[in-house]
Amino acid sequence: MKRREIITGAAMFAAASALAGCAKITNALNENDAIKSVLHAAEPLNHAVIGTRGEAKLYPDSAIDREFRVNGFDTPSDSAYAALRRDGFASYKLVVEGLVDRPQAFTLAQLRALGSLTQTTRHDCVEGWSAIGKWSGVRLSSVLALAAPQTRARYVIFHCLDRSSDGDPYYESLDMHQAAHPQALLALDLNERPLDADHGAPVRLRVPTQLGYKSAKWVGRIEVADSFKNVGSGKGGYWEDQGYDWYAGI
Amino acid sequence: MDAVAGAERMPSAVSQTREPLVYRHSLTVRVTHWVFALAFFVLVMSGLQIFNASPNLDASDKSDPARRVLSIGAQQLPDGKTAGVTTIFGHAFTTTHVLGYTSDGMSGEAERAFPGWITWPGYQDLAGGRRWHLFFAWIMILCGTAYFIGGITRKDVGLIVLRPSDVPKLLPMQLYYLRLRREPPPHGTYNPLQKAAYTSVLFVFAPLMVISGLALSPGVDAIAHPLTTLLGGRQFARLWHFVATVALVGFFGIHITLVLSTGVFNNLRSMVTGEYRLGAHDGNGV
Repeated sequence: MKRREIITGAAMFAAASALAGCAKITNALNENDAIKSVLHAAEPLNHAVIGTRGEAKLYPDSAIDREFRVNGFDTPSDSAYAALRRDGFASYKLVVEGLVDRPQAFTLAQLRALGSLTQTTRHDCVEGWSAIGKWSGVRLSSVLALAAPQTRARYVIFHCLDRSSDGDPYYESLDMHQAAHPQALLALDLNERPLDADHGAPVRLRVPTQLGYKSAKWVGRIEVADSFKNVGSGKGGYWEDQGYDWYAGI
Repeated sequence: MDAVAGAERMPSAVSQTREPLVYRHSLTVRVTHWVFALAFFVLVMSGLQIFNASPNLDASDKSDPARRVLSIGAQQLPDGKTAGVTTIFGHAFTTTHVLGYTSDGMSGEAERAFPGWITWPGYQDLAGGRRWHLFFAWIMILCGTAYFIGGITRKDVGLIVLRPSDVPKLLPMQLYYLRLRREPPPHGTYNPLQKAAYTSVLFVFAPLMVISGLALSPGVDAIAHPLTTLLGGRQFARLWHFVATVALVGFFGIHITLVLSTGVFNNLRSMVTGEYRLGAHDGNGV
């Protein structure tokens, strides 16, 4: 080996080590629990300052993505979901329970009979991309009103039919203020067709004022509660349990 | 300090005594400068971590490949290896090991837009990157507010704003830096090029950074559609956020070069104790 090659090689090795060291430091800081809890101070601040105000922009039909991007968990493939799919979700019931005076179980026909709301809104994924879809369904607040939440109720928890590759069920939550937002929608249709399995059939949530992970697909059960501490790892949602903010307005 | 501020400087060739120390940077400026420096590092690196989760920039509202300005991806090669490919305005460049197929922030390489040594954290962790980014965004906002309030009352901001009368002096100053001219054009505390750089950073790119960052928030967008519309849509806001980053990183590079090349000890002292020794290429007084 020539001397120049040795020197060049050594220099490259030194540079690579220094750069790798950089990642080691940021990785270690990222995993420090004390730092993590300090950084989390931004979340309640964002929630307080931005919150859920105003309404998401509505788009004309010309803006719609006809092939709406599929992201997130795989479409459920368990036998229960397969059975629901086989009979066109005729046996599906959306259960609303918990801190409510009148627990409910809606069939799809009953949900559709509650009146249809259509909104063409932009879906902003936490990853950074955006897509526009035309969503129709029933206002979340209408469904909740029929169940009559009790005064102790603080959160609406959405239990979903899909699971992560580790078998953890997907769930999400909104506070009562977010759940009462006029654009919080239990969507039954996307782009004027009933939701297909990949897009969350038969019922998905749409919360256009927050990032996409709030808009849970394959909603099976809605629980009204005073806390979400006892669900999953207690952070209010599957992705929240993985370290994402519960307030997803930014 | 007022006494030295107005003092005439003697030509250095005949001067036997040292040039005077002047009190240049207020405490507000010095503290916010270093907090800024830290926050800037974290924000750029965590921002690249966030970018990596969706390594495309579109000049549009929703994501639109037809209006893609920048895309950093990877491509499988016939020999089984993976190449990093960066596409700018439709022109593709192979950027393996630098962009697209890069350090995974641990011990190997992976399909990743920006390499692990420049993202925060090093490995792929969008939730972690967002945690750092959103926290230090607040630090930056608070720091910027303190700077502008402190700066306006102390007239520091007034010294660094580029005025129309500075514009004809920009070229002579550049020639002086390039050693094509003996003397810098006459100027105040900051020379016209410094003023141009500081003005564009403070009044163009920093506000653009804040506005485009806010426009990315669906919550803010719901409150103020015009903000996002003004920037050309949400994905366009992401592009502006990146453009502002490139501009500020560019400023940082020039800033460091000049700090190092124009008397690093004197420069650093002025940003620690506030005291600065006037030199040959400086203007008059504080």
